[in-house]
Amino acid sequence: MTTDLAGLRRSLGVYLSVAVLLIVVIAPFYWIFTGSIKAPQEIIAQVPTLIPQSLTLEHYDHLLASSAFPRYLLNSTIIAALTMVITVVLASLAAYGIYRLRFPGSQFLFKIILVTYAFPSILLLVPLYGMLSQVGLIDSLWALVIVNVTFAAPFAVWMLQAFFRAVPYELEEAAALDGAGRLRVMLRITLPLTAPGIASIAIYAFITSWTEYMLASVLIISDANRTLPVGLAGIIGQYQVDWGLLLAGATLTTLPVLILFGLVGRNFVDGLTAGAIK
Amino acid sequence: MSKIARLLLIAVFLIVAIGPVAAQGPVEIVFWHMEQPPHRVARVQELLDEFNAAHPDIVVRQEPQNWGEIYTKAPAAVAAGNAPDMLFAIPDFTPIIRAVGAVQPVDDFVAEMNEAHGFFPAAIEPYSYEDHVWAVPLWNMAHSLWYRKSVFAEAGVEPPTTWDEWLAAVQTLTTDTQYGIGLPANRHLYTDQTTYDFMINAGASEIYNPDGTLRFNNEATVAAFDFYKQLYQYSPPDSPNWTWGEAEACFASRTCASILQFTVITTYDTQAEGDPEDLGVMAIPHSADVEQSGTIAYVNGVMVLTDDPAKQEAIYTFLRFLLEPENYGRFLNMEPGLFLPVTESGSQAASYWEDPMVVKYKSQIEVMLENSRNGMLFGFTGGNIFPSIAQISAQNLLAQTLQKVLIDNMDPAEAVAEGQALMEEAIED
Repeated sequence: MTTDLAGLRRSLGVYLSVAVLLIVVIAPFYWIFTGSIKAPQEIIAQVPTLIPQSLTLEHYDHLLASSAFPRYLLNSTIIAALTMVITVVLASLAAYGIYRLRFPGSQFLFKIILVTYAFPSILLLVPLYGMLSQVGLIDSLWALVIVNVTFAAPFAVWMLQAFFRAVPYELEEAAALDGAGRLRVMLRITLPLTAPGIASIAIYAFITSWTEYMLASVLIISDANRTLPVGLAGIIGQYQVDWGLLLAGATLTTLPVLILFGLVGRNFVDGLTAGAIK
Repeated sequence: MSKIARLLLIAVFLIVAIGPVAAQGPVEIVFWHMEQPPHRVARVQELLDEFNAAHPDIVVRQEPQNWGEIYTKAPAAVAAGNAPDMLFAIPDFTPIIRAVGAVQPVDDFVAEMNEAHGFFPAAIEPYSYEDHVWAVPLWNMAHSLWYRKSVFAEAGVEPPTTWDEWLAAVQTLTTDTQYGIGLPANRHLYTDQTTYDFMINAGASEIYNPDGTLRFNNEATVAAFDFYKQLYQYSPPDSPNWTWGEAEACFASRTCASILQFTVITTYDTQAEGDPEDLGVMAIPHSADVEQSGTIAYVNGVMVLTDDPAKQEAIYTFLRFLLEPENYGRFLNMEPGLFLPVTESGSQAASYWEDPMVVKYKSQIEVMLENSRNGMLFGFTGGNIFPSIAQISAQNLLAQTLQKVLIDNMDPAEAVAEGQALMEEAIED
């Protein structure tokens, strides 16, 4: 009886903690979404309403019809997708080379890569601008793909470390004995076994690119090439804020990331924890 | 010579003769402005389309930017050779671009436009120093005190004109559900602006002495900071995080009985009652030591960055078009009730006064215009204009000094002394 009661208390405690955590995590999204479907007066009402009293899609209509938001969405999607693909290819190859091939200086190389990750991007802004300007890449989506890959790849290589180390060398040796070349071993044996790691660096690269603001705001000049975070900041305006427009934009900006997380989010969490405990 | 060879010769001749003419094409002008909200971009594009259609030899293209990044982006673009031909400006942004050697003087053109349209003297002053005029003024923005007439009437409060009346009014207006006033305390440009409103109305508008040394640390400045603190007690607790938008939302939702703002017209019209009869606007009250109210005013202008004479002429053609009364009002009304005319002809233009929003809030806009005539900007007053003010405003040192008083509870005299030290350090750097 006493044990049952203690178990019940424990369960209650767990459920309560999970409920509180859920509220803390979900509340901002709920607030943003419900705000985006409220009338302007209700959004800024003195007494906030938890459940919208005035359902409207006017902010979405305004956002999609009267602003360049769809263009920003397309640009961000292109840049994030390219960043994701290139980061996955580069980081996988680099991680395989560093963690699976035995060569002198591999540990030093690993540390150098980590140092580049720790370097604050703001310090690189001016030299990056100059370099990209010299090669004619200012106001180009490729400029953002290049810098996003540059900043995402080092951490991605580090994340893959745990996954590559978990794959027994014997498997590769067995494949080699069967006549498989180095590339074949990597593609057919090692990479499939590190699929959760690959998925986690893919989502990491996507989110890094999706949310990047500072470099996009400086390297992109024309409205046609602007990304979502920068474009949205402009739509909101300086002296006057259209809160409905802001909330509708924030909802639509968050949605693709939520969908991606829903699809492969578990792998991302696995990737982070693997890096921590293995 | 064979027939083919003769044809080739003729073709080569034609290419050599006609080629340069065909390649010349229209003069292309790129201009950056920081008015990014979609309706403003659309209005500018409407005017550009009209201009480009009427001037086939010129093509003007807009590239809207964000105020948040322009202080980094524009100098980088100038350094890399990607600068626009025209760049919109506020007075304390101009010295930053001048420092990278990109701004062309526009004395003659401003004199021509002054002759044609009559610039208000206060419009040219912030851009006139070191023997030249560095930007063509385009519009003005000035703070006023916004309130609801019905709220004041219900509380039995008359619109205040002096600081004593203002403090009493704010105390009376503060209730369980309403704050008497909304004042920012963020380290942000908005707080710089409201702080300077208090300084002007305490008689501390001059930050520099004529010799370029600072005179921020004086009794009038201390009085301004002290009075700000007294009123701040009646402001919402989240105001240390405010920018303009939060203040407007506070007013629109009736949480704040009054605020200092450039305008609340659009927000009041779209997010609050939208009753023009009830919307009150007045000059900012002044201390007993000052005879009349003043306010901060930002004259926005446009800098010419290109040194290509053909492009410069094309820019002047475009600006002549823009300042023509039939176009100028439409240009200003890209945000009705926010951008105020800086020319006599513009202030009387039908194109300005016929906009539906301007018609609806005409009396309020007339008061705003009147207030703007007594407008000034820190570091650009009394002929004591020194480009080093850009270092002070870029670091929001007025707001930082105010935070010492409001957040750190420092004595105003001590905070102002520290503020001057910070400014001296910034200027030296």
